[in-house]
Amino acid sequence: MSANLDKLLEDILKESRAKAEEIKEEGLTQIEDTLSKARADAVREADLIARNTKTECDATVNRRVSQEKQKARLAYLIAKNNVLDEVMNEVQTGLVHFCRDDSRYRALLLKWIMRGMEAVPSDAIMVALSESDLRRYGGSKLLEDTLAKTQTPKTVVLNSESIKTIGGTVVMSRDNKVRVDCTLEARLGLMKTELLAEISRILFAS
Amino acid sequence: MRKIVEAEKESQQILEATRREISELRKDVPNKVASMRQQILREATEQREKALAEADRIAGQEAAQIALEAKERVESLSKIPRDKRKQAVDRAMELLLS
Repeated sequence: MSANLDKLLEDILKESRAKAEEIKEEGLTQIEDTLSKARADAVREADLIARNTKTECDATVNRRVSQEKQKARLAYLIAKNNVLDEVMNEVQTGLVHFCRDDSRYRALLLKWIMRGMEAVPSDAIMVALSESDLRRYGGSKLLEDTLAKTQTPKTVVLNSESIKTIGGTVVMSRDNKVRVDCTLEARLGLMKTELLAEISRILFAS
Repeated sequence: MRKIVEAEKESQQILEATRREISELRKDVPNKVASMRQQILREATEQREKALAEADRIAGQEAAQIALEAKERVESLSKIPRDKRKQAVDRAMELLLS
């Protein structure tokens, strides 16, 4: 009888211990699951921070490099333009010297007057020169030489009013309705792009 | 009979003690979660700061290199040989006077 009772008591306690163990195990598992989920969430958030950081770092480097490259390009462009300006100034100085070389300049002037006469659709032509050219060629046979070369029936006279130019001429119809600007300044203006391209090709092409 | 009632009582006490133990552990979970999260995010933030500082250093280095190369390129323009410049002037005049 006593042995049976002891066995019964032992069973009661054994069962409750087993149940307690089960409750404990279930509780611990739930806690561990909660912690694991929280850890995974935090790690995901940290990964997002890391990914954003990578993007931000790349952007920082790219932005800085891009800014510096732009600065470099601008500085080089400015320096190149300065060189081009200097060369264009040398060209202008060269033109002034050229105009002082009477034999070469006279031939050019004659050629340009001829071109102007061909371009102006009028029989009565007027030629305007700079003040210094008027002094140099006013009394000369510049126009007669031009007419002789062109063999044209057109009549041509020198305009008594001078024009402001390094060299060259403005050829116009006598009624001043048509004008052909054959001055060096006009040619410089017209040909500036071509000249700068050619100068750049010679100076900067590697 | 008395012994059985006592055993049942003891059995209930065992279960209650276990439930209390688990309940105590559960109470501490929010603190553990907060602390763990804080640590993980603190490490991520530290890594971020390090990475940004490193990116800044690299950017500075690359920028300095670009600036140096640009300076050399600009300086090279002032070293264009005189005869090359003369060639350019002569060619421009040739085009203008043609």
